[in-house]
Amino acid sequence: MKTLIRAVAVALVATAAFGTAADAGPRDKPAQGKSLGDKDYSWNANGGEKDEALHLKPDLKNGREVYEVCAACHLPEGWGQTDGTFPQLAGQHNKVIIKQLADIRALNRDNPTMYPFALPDQIGGPQAIADVAAYIGTLKMNPEPGYGDGTDLEHGKKLYKENCVRCHGEHGEGNNDKYYPRLESQHYAYLLRQYQWIKEGKRRNANPDMVKQIQTFTDRDTKAVLDYVSRIKPPANLIGVKGWKNPDFQ
Amino acid sequence: MIVNPIRHAAGLALAFGLLAAAPAVAADGKQLFADKGCTACHGEDANTPLEPGYPRLAGQNAEYAFTQMKDIKADKRTNGLTAETMKPILEEVTEEEMRALADYLASLPRLTAATVAQATEGKKLYMTKTCVACHGKDGLKPVLKTYPFIGGQDQKYVLTQMMDIKTSKRINGLTNAMQPVMHLVADSEIEAIAEFLANVK
Repeated sequence: MKTLIRAVAVALVATAAFGTAADAGPRDKPAQGKSLGDKDYSWNANGGEKDEALHLKPDLKNGREVYEVCAACHLPEGWGQTDGTFPQLAGQHNKVIIKQLADIRALNRDNPTMYPFALPDQIGGPQAIADVAAYIGTLKMNPEPGYGDGTDLEHGKKLYKENCVRCHGEHGEGNNDKYYPRLESQHYAYLLRQYQWIKEGKRRNANPDMVKQIQTFTDRDTKAVLDYVSRIKPPANLIGVKGWKNPDFQ
Repeated sequence: MIVNPIRHAAGLALAFGLLAAAPAVAADGKQLFADKGCTACHGEDANTPLEPGYPRLAGQNAEYAFTQMKDIKADKRTNGLTAETMKPILEEVTEEEMRALADYLASLPRLTAATVAQATEGKKLYMTKTCVACHGKDGLKPVLKTYPFIGGQDQKYVLTQMMDIKTSKRINGLTNAMQPVMHLVADSEIEAIAEFLANVK
């Protein structure tokens, strides 16, 4: 029933937001799936555009075209903003990018700021998702991401080893095949925001295992563990040169 | 009594005609704009606000204008003068009438004749602080119909809205898309952006 109510609510919002179907453009909007808290919600359930995009052969040239929209906020280098307003996309796993983009435009993850730019009208269908994810895969990471205050790193390291490595890996490298994101060298303030939303159940596409795992973390724990992981350096071959400007957008 | 079938049919048609005409009258946005008192503050052309700080409405996106009226009436938007001044007026306006008003406003000419491309500080900020991404070039090409036109808007009004969204005094509608980027602009920069937007012709 809750799902039905949500579905109706979303339909109403979508109608209010976009008026008639004719206004919305020629492409159909991707169907929404279940969310955290819904009965039978299963994290990363198969289906939808995510699966479609995964099976398409990416076109890097079109990926660059699509990325132009993303570059307005995530920057041409994919480095995001150190204050965490926009996350770093460079270095993120292909399947993570595909899943999150598909989730945001299907309203499985709330991101009102990004939403209009993720729509099929704006960037295209599942092929565009595959293309832009592949293009992002060519970008080297920000050598100077945003960090926390650096005062509690030993505590953070201990917590990380005890709680996070099973999914996010020894040094926050994540896991492409399992859709677990890379955390190392992601902007601290962005990690903090997402972490809080996951803890509070506000991030609707979160993994319930993680929601449960972090419930007992205090504010000190949270800051310490995220500061720690944001400071881990990825392998040198993934990091860009300081001051690099993406020539594709010069 | 023998009823003349032709006259009977004509009578019915007349009755239906009157019925059909009734909502059409109620939905006359232009008439409503005058009758409901909107013109007093927003001007007869919906483009000449009585005082600085009141918004220009002519040519606004219909979906946006409709949402604002609905939200003000429902106390979802309470910033600025909306709660004290505008809400009492909207108490007398039905949702159907709001639609008609919004459609009428959207049909009016906007200040789009030609944009003055000035390399002002405000324009530079508008381009670099992500405003342009959603509201389009010079504030005249919103990416969604639910986003407002802001180019040529009253300077004080647009300034107040930016500040109120930044400080969460205004939280209705899709301001949740804008609020997360407002920390990117200092208050003095918001003033410069407002000046730029007000001067878009």
